[in-house]
Amino acid sequence: MSFIGKSVKRIEDKRFLTGKGKYTDDIKLVGMTHAHIVRSPYAHAKVLSIDTAAAKAHDGVVAVFVGSDIEGIVGVPTGWQVNFKNGDTMKEPAHPLLVRDNVRHVGDAVAVVIAETKEIARDAADLVEVDYDVMDAVTDPKKATAPGAPQVHPDAPNNICFDWELGNPVEEVDAALASAHHVTTLEFINQRMIPNAMEPRSAIGHYDDALDKYTLYTSTQNPHLIRLLLCAFVLGIPEHKVRIVSHDVGGGFGSKIFHYTEEALMVWVSKQINRPVKWTSDRSEAFMTDAHGRDHVTTANMGFDKDGKIVALKSDTFANMGAYLATFAPAVPTYLHGTLLQGLYTTPLINVNVVAAFTHTNSVDAYRGAGRPEATYLLERLIDLGALEMDMDPAELRKKNFIPAFDGIEQPGYQTQVALQYDSGDYQPVLDKALEMVGYEDFRAEQKKSLENGKLLGIGFSTYVEACGIAPSAVVGALGARAGLFESAQVRVQPTGKVSVYTGSHSHGQGHETTFVQVVADKLGIPMEDVDLIHGDSDAVAFGMGTYGSRSLAVGGSAIVKSIEKVLEKGAKIAAHKLEASVDDLDYAEGKWTVKGTDRSIAFGDVSLTAYVPHDYPADLEPGLDFSSFYDPANFTYPFGCHIAIVEIDKETGKVKLKRFIAVDDVGNVINPMIVDGQIHGGLAQGIGQALLEGAIYDEGGQLINGSYMDYTMPRADDLPSFEIDRTVTPCPHNPLGVKGAGEAGCIGSTPAVVNAVIDALWKAGHKVKDIQMPMTSERVWNAMNN
Amino acid sequence: MEITVKVNGKQVTREVEGRTTLSTFLREDLSLTGTHIGCDTSGCGACTVHVDGKAVKSCTLLAGQVDGCEVKTIEGLAENGKMHPLQDSFKEKHGLQCGFCTPGMIMLVSDFLETNPSPSEDEIRHALEGNFCRCTGYHNIVAAIKDAAETMSA
Amino acid sequence: MKLNGDHVLKAPRNVVWDMLMNPDQLVKITPGISELNKRDETNYEAVSEVKIGPVKGKFKGDLELKDLVKPESFTLVVTQQSKIGNVKADVVIHLDEVGNGDTQITFDGNAQMSGLLARTGARVVSGVANSLTKQFFEAFDKEIELMNT
Repeated sequence: MSFIGKSVKRIEDKRFLTGKGKYTDDIKLVGMTHAHIVRSPYAHAKVLSIDTAAAKAHDGVVAVFVGSDIEGIVGVPTGWQVNFKNGDTMKEPAHPLLVRDNVRHVGDAVAVVIAETKEIARDAADLVEVDYDVMDAVTDPKKATAPGAPQVHPDAPNNICFDWELGNPVEEVDAALASAHHVTTLEFINQRMIPNAMEPRSAIGHYDDALDKYTLYTSTQNPHLIRLLLCAFVLGIPEHKVRIVSHDVGGGFGSKIFHYTEEALMVWVSKQINRPVKWTSDRSEAFMTDAHGRDHVTTANMGFDKDGKIVALKSDTFANMGAYLATFAPAVPTYLHGTLLQGLYTTPLINVNVVAAFTHTNSVDAYRGAGRPEATYLLERLIDLGALEMDMDPAELRKKNFIPAFDGIEQPGYQTQVALQYDSGDYQPVLDKALEMVGYEDFRAEQKKSLENGKLLGIGFSTYVEACGIAPSAVVGALGARAGLFESAQVRVQPTGKVSVYTGSHSHGQGHETTFVQVVADKLGIPMEDVDLIHGDSDAVAFGMGTYGSRSLAVGGSAIVKSIEKVLEKGAKIAAHKLEASVDDLDYAEGKWTVKGTDRSIAFGDVSLTAYVPHDYPADLEPGLDFSSFYDPANFTYPFGCHIAIVEIDKETGKVKLKRFIAVDDVGNVINPMIVDGQIHGGLAQGIGQALLEGAIYDEGGQLINGSYMDYTMPRADDLPSFEIDRTVTPCPHNPLGVKGAGEAGCIGSTPAVVNAVIDALWKAGHKVKDIQMPMTSERVWNAMNN
Repeated sequence: MEITVKVNGKQVTREVEGRTTLSTFLREDLSLTGTHIGCDTSGCGACTVHVDGKAVKSCTLLAGQVDGCEVKTIEGLAENGKMHPLQDSFKEKHGLQCGFCTPGMIMLVSDFLETNPSPSEDEIRHALEGNFCRCTGYHNIVAAIKDAAETMSA
Repeated sequence: MKLNGDHVLKAPRNVVWDMLMNPDQLVKITPGISELNKRDETNYEAVSEVKIGPVKGKFKGDLELKDLVKPESFTLVVTQQSKIGNVKADVVIHLDEVGNGDTQITFDGNAQMSGLLARTGARVVSGVANSLTKQFFEAFDKEIELMNT
């Protein structure tokens, strides 16, 4: 039975379609209390006093805690250490569960009120009187590093977390730029994004004093890592006494990878009050406290020779970390951004400098693509603008600079100037296919004609390469990761031949319950109905590193394949014994072992039954058919693609209408095309959202002034067209499924394509504008045309 | 205050606070957790249910306001174990990923298709304006709705 | 947020000045204010209720008059706290004689908001401020008219 490569309908859909999904806030425990967190309305203030007396006296209140009640707990750590270029250790201020001295961003947690109902907790939280001494705040990462800027932490001078460099020596790059035929320079802001998973975060702490055991139900992408951080680094409780459960999770997009203070706080509170306690974020809290994404202030230069070959690239970025370092924060602008600046071009000299700065804003960390969208934006804006400035065709200019095809087997991987070695790539076909889909020549003719009729049409390109499945552990360890980045899987064959698969990956929309089951059923040659996937429970699954960075199938799927191989290897020994044949004489196909050249065979289910009822059994073999594996990949995987946007600008209002969006992505082999397409669609919407609609706005005092759905413009159905997508397939050479990862591709490629399209439309109409700040609102586009 | 509501065909009588919203009433008092709360400004539509046959955002309505009404939630949409065509089409066209917005989407559209049984893509996209999905980019939701509309009018 | 504007009142400067310094008059003409309790010559406690777009709050706090240069100018410092967020405003007010015994009031200042007010109200707050200012001067005009008749 073959399932790999088929658009099998999703197994998990039934419960979601009938309202039977089980998200954290849906859980009710006996005796459960409810928490409401009192948060700072100021971006920067000294907490002079907190009066909790009235709240404590309120009917139905169980307890009120403030920072000084949490003795000896420093706070939540970050998972990466990135050092200064001179070797100094990065600055890593504590992120307390509840603040003790100063508040450092709007939404910083000051106190927590526990009550019998959610409503009482909220009422009583209003009675907590906090006296603040308000101070000046800084929200821009570049301004934060200027002398005299308000300081976020006393132990991080000039608010600098680290000052990091990668690539060729800056002197060499400067020299190449100085002698280049043409240099394209761009200063831009890659604005701050708010992830906005539709399910607000939720955490239930439950301490069971009879068992001395803790359970944390939480909406996370990463249950085992949360357990490790919670136990070993935050609360200091033994790991075997803690269970983390994350059933259904309503979207993550990065924002639910991290170990949040509220998770540790609920576990701690539950122990204090000896009752379960639930906290569920409202949307307003989500806007303030779910880790944000992007927020880079960048200056970049790309030098070309007279034929358009790129001779050098230099970039200087100030990356906003927010007030505290979230779990992956230091890695995002460095190892997930600087290392991607080769793009898919043969640029011989590259220098990247990143200054990470603390500001009085919410933490910034991985948001769909995490660093790679910023890198792609930088490169693709520069090359498209370079084409306009040099009056060259943007597609031709890219083709001139593409790295030639390499499959990673016959031809070696491509060594970049910025540390990474690409596994396999064949870049021109994605561009050619996209050009064909868009009808490039016809479009250029139409564009010219429409201009005569007073309409502004534009086309924008983006060709990208990204890095998925962050690995291997030894490499990421050398780069500062404080955890390994492997994955584990257990394939437990039950006596009747039915299979339970336990994965450390976590599904929150990606459809693992279908895709992973397809892989297992396909490899074992059994019906999909005979396989179940279990995830999101640290008591059931031995270990895991969670789902982010498009790693689940490439790393988690590979771990499953390793376990299947072990199952089949042992199964063959049992089959050989039963068939009185040698293992070497057996073939496995269609769910049975057959003696080659005969019709003697034994079914998978008979072998599994024999393994558990080993009456007639090989003498030197253990009973059972149940294998765990840990898979640590040899390298990242490197998907790539080409995105093309076509826009029309309303001359009178500056409104940008996205008319068409074409995406050709190469994510390696595809297990379920329907699901991969869905991942691409969702990524495109988020990337297009950044270009046209979204962006967090902090005012000068550090107030988040668009923290609601009335103000933060997330794409709605009528903001987007239907997408035109296709793919090429260049298998990953180093994992058993040949897969690369599809979760982030759509989001990584799409943003610069849209911006480039708007810039193209304006240039063709005679407005030689280099940049329009995203999101490209009507106002900004109109101003670009009229000023 | 005491209210009596017919929810998914069953009559229930409960004591509620004046400030209790319909969404909280459904989730907390009746444990119908298929109705989701995604925001606090009636902006996301995850809480959409039917009141007397019309799609409404249940976070914007007080439980007290539906006294004497008929309420249908996602749990009551399938009849006699047979899925509503929209439920089938959302699965067939991969119109859902994380599933959080899905009940609201389906409740909204099941009402919309009653008034407009064969909508154009533009009409579908406009009809979805009040409901967010962050996973699908709406592409397959639109495809699912077209598919269901065809099934239902066949 | 910037707060500025001007308005001509049909009353002499001294009269306008005295009205502005009189809490009973101010309560009458200022929209939303329900209580203004004098602490001393230049400090008041103020209670108000204002609806700003989607959020409505009961505010309580201080109102201070600074840099008094009778009858030409003063600075109004308002600090208001509420469950939906806090407001701090500094406004410099000038009174100028513009002929016919009329007085022009010019105000120029800044208001900072925090909390839910900033997150969900900022979009509409300048509109609200404009309409409150309009209401204030309309009421002021009416008071003067009443006084003159």
